[in-house]
Amino acid sequence: MNEVIVSMENICKTFPGVKALDHVSFELRAGEVMALLGENGAGKSTLMKVLSGVYTRDEGSLKIFGKDYGDLTPKQAQEVGVAIIHQELNMCRHLSVAENMFLGREISGRIALNNAKMEQEAKRILDDLKIDIDPKETVGELPVSKQQMVEIAKALSINAKILIMDEPTSSLTAREIEDLFRIIKKLKSEGKGIVYISHRLEELQHIVDRVTVMRDGQYITSMHFGDVTMEQIISYMVGREIKEKFPRVECEKGKKVFEVRNLNAGKMVRDINFSVYEGEIVGFAGLMGAGRTETTRAIFGVDPKESGEIYVDDKKIEIKCPMDAIRNGVVLAPEDRKKDGLCTKLSIRHNLTLPNLDIVCNRLGVVIGKKENELCEKAVVDLKIKTPSVEVDSGNLSGGNQQKVVVGKWLARDSRVVIFDEPTRGIDVGAKVEIYNLMNELKKQGIAVMFVSSEMPEVMGIADRIIVMCDGRITGEVMARETTQNEILTLATTFEDKKINSQSGKEEV
Amino acid sequence: MNNKSPIKKLLAVKGMGAALTAFVGLIIIYIAFGLINPAVFSSNNILNLLRSMSKYLLIGIAQSYVLITGNIDLSIGSMVAMSAMISATLMTLGTNPFLAVLVALVCCLVIGVINGILVGKFKLPPFIATLGTMFVGRGIAYMVNNNRNTDAIATGVGKETGDAFQNFFYYGTTAGIYNTFWIAIIMFVIFFFLLSKTRTGRHIYAIGSNIDAAKLSGVNVVATTTKTYLVSAVCSWVVGLILCAQAGMGNMEAGNMYEMYGVAAGVIGGVSPLGGTGILLGTLAGSAVWQTLENGLNMIGAQVGIQRLVIGIIVVVAVLLDVVLRSGQFSKKKKG
Repeated sequence: MNEVIVSMENICKTFPGVKALDHVSFELRAGEVMALLGENGAGKSTLMKVLSGVYTRDEGSLKIFGKDYGDLTPKQAQEVGVAIIHQELNMCRHLSVAENMFLGREISGRIALNNAKMEQEAKRILDDLKIDIDPKETVGELPVSKQQMVEIAKALSINAKILIMDEPTSSLTAREIEDLFRIIKKLKSEGKGIVYISHRLEELQHIVDRVTVMRDGQYITSMHFGDVTMEQIISYMVGREIKEKFPRVECEKGKKVFEVRNLNAGKMVRDINFSVYEGEIVGFAGLMGAGRTETTRAIFGVDPKESGEIYVDDKKIEIKCPMDAIRNGVVLAPEDRKKDGLCTKLSIRHNLTLPNLDIVCNRLGVVIGKKENELCEKAVVDLKIKTPSVEVDSGNLSGGNQQKVVVGKWLARDSRVVIFDEPTRGIDVGAKVEIYNLMNELKKQGIAVMFVSSEMPEVMGIADRIIVMCDGRITGEVMARETTQNEILTLATTFEDKKINSQSGKEEV
Repeated sequence: MNNKSPIKKLLAVKGMGAALTAFVGLIIIYIAFGLINPAVFSSNNILNLLRSMSKYLLIGIAQSYVLITGNIDLSIGSMVAMSAMISATLMTLGTNPFLAVLVALVCCLVIGVINGILVGKFKLPPFIATLGTMFVGRGIAYMVNNNRNTDAIATGVGKETGDAFQNFFYYGTTAGIYNTFWIAIIMFVIFFFLLSKTRTGRHIYAIGSNIDAAKLSGVNVVATTTKTYLVSAVCSWVVGLILCAQAGMGNMEAGNMYEMYGVAAGVIGGVSPLGGTGILLGTLAGSAVWQTLENGLNMIGAQVGIQRLVIGIIVVVAVLLDVVLRSGQFSKKKKG
């Protein structure tokens, strides 16, 4: 057995209101690929950020190459040989490959930079990895996979011995994944330690030696990959049984309210078909990047559609922009409230009335103060928004209350379809339940509710029917009461096996 | 909300703080100059002050509308020149003044629409898009009368009509105050109402605060952006007519640098160049501060160089104050 190069014990990390890591232990040996697995929010990324010095741990010990580190700084981590290959690549798109690789530690001659030397050096490293890239090429013009290779090469050029790869294959094609695996195997044979974070369980078998599973910020187990089955791993990842936190109301399933047929919009929305009936909440489950948000955006008319038909109450409607959707009674409470949901510099009142100005304005477009106040007061009371007044800047509210404003602005109008995209992300349990109750209220009123969420227990607890997506496709549909988390997770990881099907040319979209 | 006192209600309006600060600054500056030279307090000077600030108020409104959406309009000065040159040239040719100013209006609106489409629809950086139209507009102002300033407008439309035009926009008074001021105030009231009480106004703030959220709330970004540039065009048009009336002729260099004066007037009054915040009362205060400074420095015998220098410092200090206050708020939030 190889030497232990990273050893983390009892690591704790608390963010305001959240215990992100709760006495987690982790070990990495030289020359192995360790898969770090867990659901979204299990604490994998946080743990790796502690290892790379981005976050400082609150408790616990951290040893790298046998040496104890107190407060590890990112710089120290880099010096000792820890490198993260990020999910979003951190490259300067306008600079060349060589320039990127030597960014911040340029080789310079007496007066000017020694470009020739840097390019030569970059070439040597790339050749060593058998990567066919010209160091002079501009990074932004390379395909994503090549950019990732450059990032790996960059990490090696600073003599990285511990490589952390966060979802490295999420945007790669079959051929590219093969290349990546070849490189990973080569690094492994050179004695580097690799931490491999991925949701794609089916690709683990090609490279992984050991597995560590995390759940809710806690260390669950670690074992040799050969000793376990995929089912076991999934059950470790999911683990718990907490359906009680989710209030559910029973409704008669009525007539069809909303239907989407053959919706296509880019790579992440492929041939989507589904319908929503009166008196039900339809959950959309899947892993991050499964195409659920993209689907909601395409439906709502934010992103252009390539094809597809949308029906509300059996009437076909055209949605070209959000305005069309709103007029036809389809509304969307978007995923990222800071980016898409809220005007943080404006007051709660302005935010609540923004999409409802057609209701509170007279014919000349003048806002009628009385109507506006009524609307705002009602929203504040109905949603229990905690604020001294509606004149407060919405940016000053807590996350939960901000989310209530985002949701509240859509509930003031008579909609037929309400789409919630991750409505409970980053808010506390109490606020979550209030949001659930709200959805239940809509359900009772016969409004079609689409509920996108990455948190499995909540989808299973609140939704009546669950549509599972993976890779921009719907991979299955299950009834919430009859399914198990394992079944959903299996559906959510039903990737088109790019490794096997690569020759059948499924990659083009 | 109705049980609050009117003062509290007034202070609750967003952006009122900055506007009131500017008004307080205005009063201090005014009294300070008046103590040095009592002529500052003379009714004659007050009337002149009100008239000269009117131009800056109008371009301040123009620029504020655009700034609140988070954009900028560099073509304001050129539209002013276009308006002055086109109306003056037509009038020297004997065209009916009503028709002449109407043609000028249409030309300014065209520039406004182009700005709106370039920025709103094609997502050009507003600095670049309006830099382009700035040069185009100035070019047109030059070309209108073959690269020369116009003759006196009275040579075309006759002395009587010419005088009537000049009096209406500049030299005449109503109720003892110059017409220029009345024109500016009426426009101020209209645009104040539009920005603070109507749907369009709300959309303008929403775009400036968070364009993605605005889009997802069903705001038509292209149309709203274009509207702000149209407001800018209309205000510039009026300022052009005022300058034309003041000189009695068209000057190709009219309105030079006015876009920047507009930025200054807005920023002094608390309009954030980053968008989303600011009210027109602030712009009113800002343009008044500016004119009072210029007027006061003039009255105490300071030279143009000093005037510019002082104004430059005032602008930076106003924004610096804003930034410091904001970062103060930010750190408070972090702690809490």
